[in-house]
Amino acid sequence: MSMLIDFWNWLPVIIQIVIKIVVIVLPLMLMVAYYTLLERKVIGYMQIRIGPNRVGFKGSLQPIADAMKLMFKEIVLPTKANKFLFLIAPMLTLAPALAAWAVFPFDETLVLADVNAGLLYVLALTSMGVYGVIIAGWATNSKYAFLGAMRSAAQIISYEIAMGFALVAVIVAAGSLNFGDIVRAQQGSAAHWFWLPLFPLFIVYFIAGVAETNRAPFDVAEGESEIVAGFHVEYSGMAFAAFFLAEYANMILISALTALMFLGGWLSPFEGTFAESWFAWVPGFFWLLAKTFVFMFMLLWFRATFPRYRYDQIMRLGWKVFIPITIVWILVVAYAVVNKMPWWFNT
Amino acid sequence: MRPENYEAIKQPPSNEFELNFGPNHPGIEGNYAFRVKLNGDEVLSARADAGYLHRGFEKLMEGRLWIQNIALVPRICVPDPVPMEVCYSLAIEELCGLEIPERAQWLRVMQLEMSRLAAHLFAFGGHAATTGMYTPMFWGVADRDLILDRFEELTGGRVYSIYNIPGGVRRDMPDGFLDRLGALLDYLDSRLPDYDSLFFRNQVFIRRARDVGAMTQEQALKWGVTGPNLRATGLAFDVRRDDPYLAYEKIDFDVVTQPGGDALSRNLVRRAELKQSIRILRQVIKHLPSVKGAVRCPIPNPLAWNVPAGETYTRVESSKGELAYYVVSNGGDKPYRVHVRGPSSMHAVQVLEKLAVGSRLEDIAQIMFSLDACPPEVDR
Repeated sequence: MSMLIDFWNWLPVIIQIVIKIVVIVLPLMLMVAYYTLLERKVIGYMQIRIGPNRVGFKGSLQPIADAMKLMFKEIVLPTKANKFLFLIAPMLTLAPALAAWAVFPFDETLVLADVNAGLLYVLALTSMGVYGVIIAGWATNSKYAFLGAMRSAAQIISYEIAMGFALVAVIVAAGSLNFGDIVRAQQGSAAHWFWLPLFPLFIVYFIAGVAETNRAPFDVAEGESEIVAGFHVEYSGMAFAAFFLAEYANMILISALTALMFLGGWLSPFEGTFAESWFAWVPGFFWLLAKTFVFMFMLLWFRATFPRYRYDQIMRLGWKVFIPITIVWILVVAYAVVNKMPWWFNT
Repeated sequence: MRPENYEAIKQPPSNEFELNFGPNHPGIEGNYAFRVKLNGDEVLSARADAGYLHRGFEKLMEGRLWIQNIALVPRICVPDPVPMEVCYSLAIEELCGLEIPERAQWLRVMQLEMSRLAAHLFAFGGHAATTGMYTPMFWGVADRDLILDRFEELTGGRVYSIYNIPGGVRRDMPDGFLDRLGALLDYLDSRLPDYDSLFFRNQVFIRRARDVGAMTQEQALKWGVTGPNLRATGLAFDVRRDDPYLAYEKIDFDVVTQPGGDALSRNLVRRAELKQSIRILRQVIKHLPSVKGAVRCPIPNPLAWNVPAGETYTRVESSKGELAYYVVSNGGDKPYRVHVRGPSSMHAVQVLEKLAVGSRLEDIAQIMFSLDACPPEVDR
């Protein structure tokens, strides 16, 4: 063991960082791949179908087959497209979706970069994704793609505000921008988690997150029956796969962030109850994963049971409903924190 | 064109642009297209561009024997083929003065209502899909399949049954058919609440469909709107009740109306008509065993059948509206002229073009599906 540690310390720092990144990104990519399978299976059963069941045992190798197919497909460049922007756009979308995981704490100590402004970093990076979408829609030089890009830009920007405001309240309540500290501020029991005192913001944040990832019922940017596939209508092969990966990585990120900030992250749900010692052996990472899965499943559930909102209705919801709710609740939370209301705000 | 040769056409600055909507578009039913002029998301004008499905039915029929056309007519509208056969048969029967046996009449009513159920399940599923909700579509298709199973048992064909001939139907139904049909109706009845909670009472859907593609009753009458679309504007007109054919006089059913005239009302009318069709079918199941006798009246050799000269206009209520056949015979063994008045030829062209104006880009598909437009009926 000590030899391994010596070897690790002997490695140049850059190699150490690369290894750490691979350790995060590789499972994430696998998770994304199998999330698509889960989506097809879950929605399939909701729609009285079976879903993919031909490749591997009950379709278990389907994501691998999809990835292989996409990798070997040609990336078709439309004649009138701007080549440079057309190719840079998928990268611009995918990179922030992966980079945001750098500050994400998977457990008490398991974090790549324990940045004090972690939340700000994540907010900044998730906003970057929209550039990829706009550039893709612009560079394609197609009316459908452009419509999709414009919608996506307007939608993401409006929901970013509601999302940011919801996070302001989290910051106020936790007294820190560091994800680790935010989770530690929720210690105590399941009732200490922020979902209860910040309940309206919890809902707003999750719904804004759905809108931010362009998922149903807010998928107007791709709206299949309206603008065919929106901004990525002309993309094929790996360029399309990059958008696809980014979308699903973002979905997982939003689910994980919701779990982290409102459901106590890696904290055990039995904390502070009689059952605490029974589950003491469960690693915190498992609890985080379980909570994340709840939201990941809900994202799929939404898709199977909600029609798409109309574009103006989405805007109305964002500006006239969510933003007022968040502003009012920020004031409530600020008042509670200043007056040190137990249990939540005694920081 | 090479990119270096490409030069943008100089135009005065404007927000208006034209968009080709279809014929290869997931939001379009069948092969059908629009040229839409947009200002941002708002539709300034829409021009229907039909013809992608033209198979020349009306002309084909002039070159075939009267009886051969029976196999041709159901192709005109895939989701709802039975009214086509029945209406065409009724037209020939009227020209020949044939009186079809009562049992055949009831069997035709049964098929018509089964077909209406299947078509409505298909129609609102498609509407749901245009709003990005695919679950009702899959449910509808799955439940429609069970109706097709019964069609297969009755006629041998799942979609195009080709079961009706001038003078009645081809053969009697198999033993125990009505019991199995009754079980199917019970199942469909039990499914309706599920559809309600998933789709018809879904608040997001209601918001999406309310006031979309709305028309007043006067407009509807002026534009030749019929069927559920007309009933959704509050006018209780139904060919089955107002100009009864077959056994509909003896059947008790309601003509459902809705006041709104928008996409939501049209859907709710279809939802209520599912219930009415089930009700009609239950009456058929109760009444049919007591009607004994042949299922077909004697007809001349169909391969050398010279239908007396004359012309007739026969109409039935299909799931999409008033379906009519204008048949002219000059006494030969082939029709001189057959004109099909497909309800969608009004709905999908003139009505849709007018309703689309002022709506938003994302609602075009929804309006089209809420009118239950069937493009092949346009391109006969």
